[in-house]
Amino acid sequence: MNTLKLEIVTPEGQIFAKDVKSVTLPGSEGEFGVLPNHASLVTLLQAGVIDIELQNGNHEIVAINWGHVKVDENSVTVLADGAVSIGGSSESEIAKSLDAAKELIRSMSNSDIALAIATAKIESITKSRKY
Amino acid sequence: MANLKEIKRKIKSVQNTQKTTRAMKLVSTAKLKRAEMAAKQSRVYAVKINEVLSEIAYKINQYKGGVIESRFFDKSNAPKTVDVIFVTADKGLCGGFNIQTIKAVRRLLEDYARQNIKVRLRAVGRKGMAFFNFQGVELFTSYAGVSSAPNYEKAQEIINAAIDDFVTKKTDKVILIHNGYKNMISQELKITDIVPVEPPMDYSLESNSMMEIEPLDGGEEILDSLIQKYFEYNMYYALVDSLAAEHSARMQAMENATNNAKERVGILTLAYNKARQESITTELIEIISGVESMK
Repeated sequence: MNTLKLEIVTPEGQIFAKDVKSVTLPGSEGEFGVLPNHASLVTLLQAGVIDIELQNGNHEIVAINWGHVKVDENSVTVLADGAVSIGGSSESEIAKSLDAAKELIRSMSNSDIALAIATAKIESITKSRKY
Repeated sequence: MANLKEIKRKIKSVQNTQKTTRAMKLVSTAKLKRAEMAAKQSRVYAVKINEVLSEIAYKINQYKGGVIESRFFDKSNAPKTVDVIFVTADKGLCGGFNIQTIKAVRRLLEDYARQNIKVRLRAVGRKGMAFFNFQGVELFTSYAGVSSAPNYEKAQEIINAAIDDFVTKKTDKVILIHNGYKNMISQELKITDIVPVEPPMDYSLESNSMMEIEPLDGGEEILDSLIQKYFEYNMYYALVDSLAAEHSARMQAMENATNNAKERVGILTLAYNKARQESITTELIEIISGVESMK
């Protein structure tokens, strides 16, 4: 199976580094998905959520407040200012990370629309997620 | 007898100091580990940002077949006004850590004064502020409480103020000075030119020249925003690095202080024993001479 190497780094450290099936990124010109063997490109990201499809089919979400992405055929590198991974082993941990993520996006994006889109996306993904 | 008591009191006092310095050393050791970890983690970002920055710079160079028209890269003009950002600790008791940075800043000041270049000082950390205030040197701005708890937002605030002045041509150069962490027992003074930037041109990445930049012809925009991040990151790293260095310096200073205290206790104990023996001898002589006189 083809996989992508996804890395998400912030100045405070590496948030995510795994081989994944696909990833959806909030580009400054609109959301776009990346599958393995994607053409190389560099672009800016806006505040939003990164939806990651793991190798086992589960989804993982990382919220970012600003970013920059470099896509190669088989690797994706995201440089972000702040990033919060949404997840956790218990309900309360997930809720806590959700709040942190919303706060992060709210602090950065000046438009309510971006916040609403991101929040809706987070919620829809967390609901459909298998635990 | 008064002498004995005196010495005993001194021993007690030195022992108490020793307890304090030992505790401070342990605290610094623990904090150093955390600070070192933070510095190490953020280095991953440095590697990535350098990689992307050089790739884009290379890419734009290829398109335009020439220079990047950005003030950030412009080295041609001789600077007239220079901003110096220097990072010191908020607290003392860490050996020569702060003084080293301060000395470097003063050297720079002298150098630039000789070349008739105006220097504005941006101080980070209470110790540096206190020193220059005492010397009567004017500080352009100062930030307290950042160096003991660095975070990215504060670093952004500091560097963006300097960069804004650079962009609006109030300054022609920005220099960052901090005392960085080298290893557990030594620190290294680091002087970095923030702007103008030496473009990190790594031409070994040519294989990747099929890379697209989106939005198209937004290359400069991306480069600018990346460079902004690059500055912010540099500032953040300086703070984190300086904190790690501060703790390592303090650890060492406290270790030395503990050892010195130990030595002092040894010397004082010897003096105490001598005095005690002396007083016993005197007492014995008194008793014996008393007995003798009774005969």
